[in-house]
Amino acid sequence: MSPDPHAPNRFEGLAAEHVMGLLEGEEARRAERLEQEDPGFAAAVERWRLRFGELDATAPAHAPPPDLLARISATLDAAEPEAPPQPESAPARAARPAPLAALWRSLGFWRATGLAGAAASLLLVIGIAFGPLGRLPQPQMVAVLIGPQGEPAALVNAFADGTADLIPLRTIAVPEGRVLEVWTLWDPARGPVSIGLSNEARRIRLDLKNLPRTAPNQLFEITLEPQGGSPIGRPTGPILMKGTTSVAL
Amino acid sequence: MEQRTHESGAAAGEAGFDVAATLAACAGGDRTALHRLYEAEADRMLGVARRILKRDALAEEAVHDSFVLIFRQAARFDPARGSGRTWIYAILRNRALNILRGEKRTDFVDDYEPFGLEAEDESPEAALVRLSESGRLRACLERLEAPRRTAILLAYVNGLTHGELAGRFGVPLGTMKSWIRRSLLSLRECLA
Repeated sequence: MSPDPHAPNRFEGLAAEHVMGLLEGEEARRAERLEQEDPGFAAAVERWRLRFGELDATAPAHAPPPDLLARISATLDAAEPEAPPQPESAPARAARPAPLAALWRSLGFWRATGLAGAAASLLLVIGIAFGPLGRLPQPQMVAVLIGPQGEPAALVNAFADGTADLIPLRTIAVPEGRVLEVWTLWDPARGPVSIGLSNEARRIRLDLKNLPRTAPNQLFEITLEPQGGSPIGRPTGPILMKGTTSVAL
Repeated sequence: MEQRTHESGAAAGEAGFDVAATLAACAGGDRTALHRLYEAEADRMLGVARRILKRDALAEEAVHDSFVLIFRQAARFDPARGSGRTWIYAILRNRALNILRGEKRTDFVDDYEPFGLEAEDESPEAALVRLSESGRLRACLERLEAPRRTAILLAYVNGLTHGELAGRFGVPLGTMKSWIRRSLLSLRECLA
């Protein structure tokens, strides 16, 4: 029964606000715990869900994009127990239920990445400009792709003639039957475009010929995909690294 | 447009589709059961998520994540404790609200948002008008004072927080909390 029999309204109000999504912090945790542990509270919650469920039924139905079911299936496939072992480069992701989405959303991860990445980019750009690499054709744009631990993992160089290449900065364990797929996001309305596939971390030329000239702040990323590349033309696997372009001085 | 036949709000509760039995099949690892659930509910679920998240890409992500969770956690669904439909919509609302609030996006992720695809903001009263004329929820909501009814609808339908509601109505936070609390209790009495 109610943990606070002197305040049935308080109990009922907590259940209602829990269903509405209005609770925060300690109150939200308390409601979640009560829902699991207290059958009376769980029943009050269910009653409120049934009452307000009528409002969900008023939402105008909206057809999902045709590939949404395939994306759901791909996420479930990616986490099947018999799936190939996760690469060593992604230990944190291996344990997460929705690797792609979870990593995208991990604010702490990207904060750390941003700080480490900024420092690493600076060093690398200096290295490119003044070190031995400086004798190669001068790239116009450089992107340092950053891995999950905030470490620089690859470089993308985009040259004045419209070509580009990717240079890995560390090895990547690619499971059997999987490939590395390189993506860029030039136009958010079009979505990410596949520009390269590789079975291993090695220097590869990127296929940018069907895209406009690489611009500053253009996103590049590498995901782990099934053999032959993503079946649905957009990233489905975990993101191994990503970064955006800067102008090479 | 391949809008399926979900014409009226009442159709969302299609009598022919047994969500609880479908969840039991999902718990046994039957992916075709998940596909049937998707066919039956994804349009409506995306509609619910769009009212909360506004942007199509985020709403689709909420639906994606919800179906993944529904399949993985189907064994936890207990038909003795509630209906299958309320269970899947609770998962959806929870995902959508978490995306809306907790998980503030980085600029990187915003790069993936197509521009100009925000769902049109619908007035809170539109949801009220679509409620069945004969339904008790509608009658009981209509008995609330207009601003309080609007606050309840904005909270449930669009996912506004107490703080956002207080800002929108120009009242102190504590006042908004007590508006909501009292409105919910009078709804309960009316619906009982």
